[in-house]
Amino acid sequence: MLLARNLKIAIDSIRSAKWRSLLTMLGIIIGVVSVVTTVSIGEGVKTQVKDQITRLGPDLITIRPGKVVNRDTAGHVSSVNLFPSAGTAAFNESDWKAMQNTPGLRAVVPFNVVTGVPSTTERSMDNSFIVGATTNVPEVLNHKVEFGEFFNEGDVNKRVAVIGKRVAEQLFAENVPIGKIMEIRGQQFVVRGVFEEFATSPLTTNTDYNTAVFIPYETSKHISNNQVQIYQVLAKPIDPVAVNGVTDALHQSILTARAGQDDFTILKQDENLAIANNILTLLTGLIAGIAAISLIVGGIGIMNIMLVSVTERTREIGIRKAVGATNKQIMSQFLVEAAVLSLVGGIIGVVISILANYMLRIFTSLQPVITVPITLVAITVALVVGIVFGVTPALRAARKDPIHALRYE
Amino acid sequence: MPVIALEEVSKLYGFGDATTVALDEITLNIEPGEFVAVMGPSGSGKSTLMNIIGLLDRPTHGIYELNGRSVSRLRPNQSAKARRDTIGFVFQSFNLLPRLNVLENVALPLAYKGMLHSRRLKRAADMLERVGLGDREYFMPRQLSGGQAQRVAIARALVNNPHILIADEPTGNLDSAASRLVMELLSDIHKSGTTILMVTHNPELTRYATRVVFMHDGSIVADEQSEIGDIPKLARKTHYSIPKTTEEDDLAGVSALMQAIPEKDEAQKKAVKKKKPKAKIFRPRATKRGKR
Ligand SMILES: Nc1ncnc2c1ncn2[C@@H]1O[C@H](COP(=O)(O)OP(=O)(O)OP(=O)(O)O)[C@@H](O)[C@H]1O
Ligand SMILES: [Mg+2]
Repeated sequence: MLLARNLKIAIDSIRSAKWRSLLTMLGIIIGVVSVVTTVSIGEGVKTQVKDQITRLGPDLITIRPGKVVNRDTAGHVSSVNLFPSAGTAAFNESDWKAMQNTPGLRAVVPFNVVTGVPSTTERSMDNSFIVGATTNVPEVLNHKVEFGEFFNEGDVNKRVAVIGKRVAEQLFAENVPIGKIMEIRGQQFVVRGVFEEFATSPLTTNTDYNTAVFIPYETSKHISNNQVQIYQVLAKPIDPVAVNGVTDALHQSILTARAGQDDFTILKQDENLAIANNILTLLTGLIAGIAAISLIVGGIGIMNIMLVSVTERTREIGIRKAVGATNKQIMSQFLVEAAVLSLVGGIIGVVISILANYMLRIFTSLQPVITVPITLVAITVALVVGIVFGVTPALRAARKDPIHALRYE
Repeated sequence: MPVIALEEVSKLYGFGDATTVALDEITLNIEPGEFVAVMGPSGSGKSTLMNIIGLLDRPTHGIYELNGRSVSRLRPNQSAKARRDTIGFVFQSFNLLPRLNVLENVALPLAYKGMLHSRRLKRAADMLERVGLGDREYFMPRQLSGGQAQRVAIARALVNNPHILIADEPTGNLDSAASRLVMELLSDIHKSGTTILMVTHNPELTRYATRVVFMHDGSIVADEQSEIGDIPKLARKTHYSIPKTTEEDDLAGVSALMQAIPEKDEAQKKAVKKKKPKAKIFRPRATKRGKR
């Protein structure tokens, strides 16, 4: 009852000063938009990362040099090192051989980085990367070669290459450059195949295989003076259900090969996903937290305008008191007004966020996801901010001396 | 039993050397059904007295009993409720809320009582009918003449059926025709049993009153019963003494009016108290320093 009447008073007073009210709400609107948008971008990236990881197959095992994660005694990932120690050496050939000889694995593919910029007579592409790998790459990446084929057992020493979509476009300016020649470290390579487009996820450091040039492992060793720098090994178990046992065996083999040095990481896909999620949650949380500051600023804006409003309406307060309004009734009138201001600001903010969402989907590769909980949380937080910052002005209004208030011009 | 009983009520503003005595130990009893006109020069404490009686303000010293209940030390919350239920206010400057229409303005006190919206508007409409503005319900205050606005204000003051109506110079902003209408209305209200206190500077208007109280420097200097329709002797004297002021009086400011203030003996029986020597009235305004 009282609330309904105060709502009406609040809406009247907001409508009677539309522009000012809008400017007051601006802080809240901006706050809500930035929080909702960052969180929804974060959510979107998470789904994209999840898609990407599931596409690689849940049984994929990733082996990396360096301690990417720390594990507790039960073997669960307890924390993630965003910057694993740079000094750790890449795997060498004997490490890889040890992995390959571990029982229970059907494909163990080394990713040997070759420094160099691939080029043709017309163009070069310096944002690509060259990987020496074995013939099972399509199997471990769970990905098809769209045109041509991947190099096979008969090609191990040949100068052939299978490239990603971007490489085809940027280096050859065509979609199917099969049989075309490219030059790597002064050697000529024939394009054998072009991979299907790899799904990418923005904001993550996951490798974009669309810019990769795969060449046979032996050849890669050859053109880089037998220097081997394996930055990752991807493996698939024979029995997908037995992943855990296999990783333990792998651990033992590598430990032996590296003379007891436990400076590598074996990750299963679910762990990869968990890590990516962790990092993303941390990041979006951080950004959303910064964005939330603008909500506070919005609250201060509301307080400011409400204080002005209370002063301007001193006489009104006096009149209301003279006809019998109690301090509590005056207080709730102004509190409701602050709450309505911030609530309306919150709702406008959510509407703008939804529009921004569509824009991002149309004009960027981001796929933000606005969920109902996040909008509810944003609106609730806006409301709470309005009420909290409305208390001071409302108290000031309630405590006005009726006589002074009535005399106020 | 009097509706209003003031005993040695004082109101002081400021402190130390800057103390202003707005009300100086006022003792006043008002019986139900009286129509009291309060007169006196500017700054004599009329509004202060009205505000204290109307529970908008609290006395610094003294006892105030409203309907037999002591109200001199009420908390703001309690006085708001007492104000809402027993007192109606009419001000010189109408004091309607500009953003509410006439009907909502009249219904305002009922809203604070928690009455239902529809009932509230119904009662307000009845009240507007009573002050002769039934056809102006949906006007905004700015669309009313001064006289109409004051009648709306009176309707608002009456909507809660108060025992007491306090009007501080209700005709101060009105021309004589509008004043007459407002006074006839107050007179009607008085006849229906409401106790009225009205501050006025116009002796003519004391015709409607049953009692006239004269204030000066925070004290009541005369208190006279009068028949409705008559202008009391003292009020008439106040009025007609104005043209007789000399240049010296003008220089002395308000003193011109004050010359008409009766001597203690002249004001006889009803005069409550007057401890001040005559010379005192020539002091500028009512500011007295270090009196207490
Ligand atoms: N808030 C205040 N602070 C200090 N002094 C005040 C205050 N309010 C009133 N006064 C003083 O109290 C005295 C009485 O004032 P009051 O308003 O009651 O006079 P009044 O009789 O209503 O005058 P008028 O006919 O001009 O309305 C004046 O001297 C005034 O200056
Ligand atoms: Mg006054």
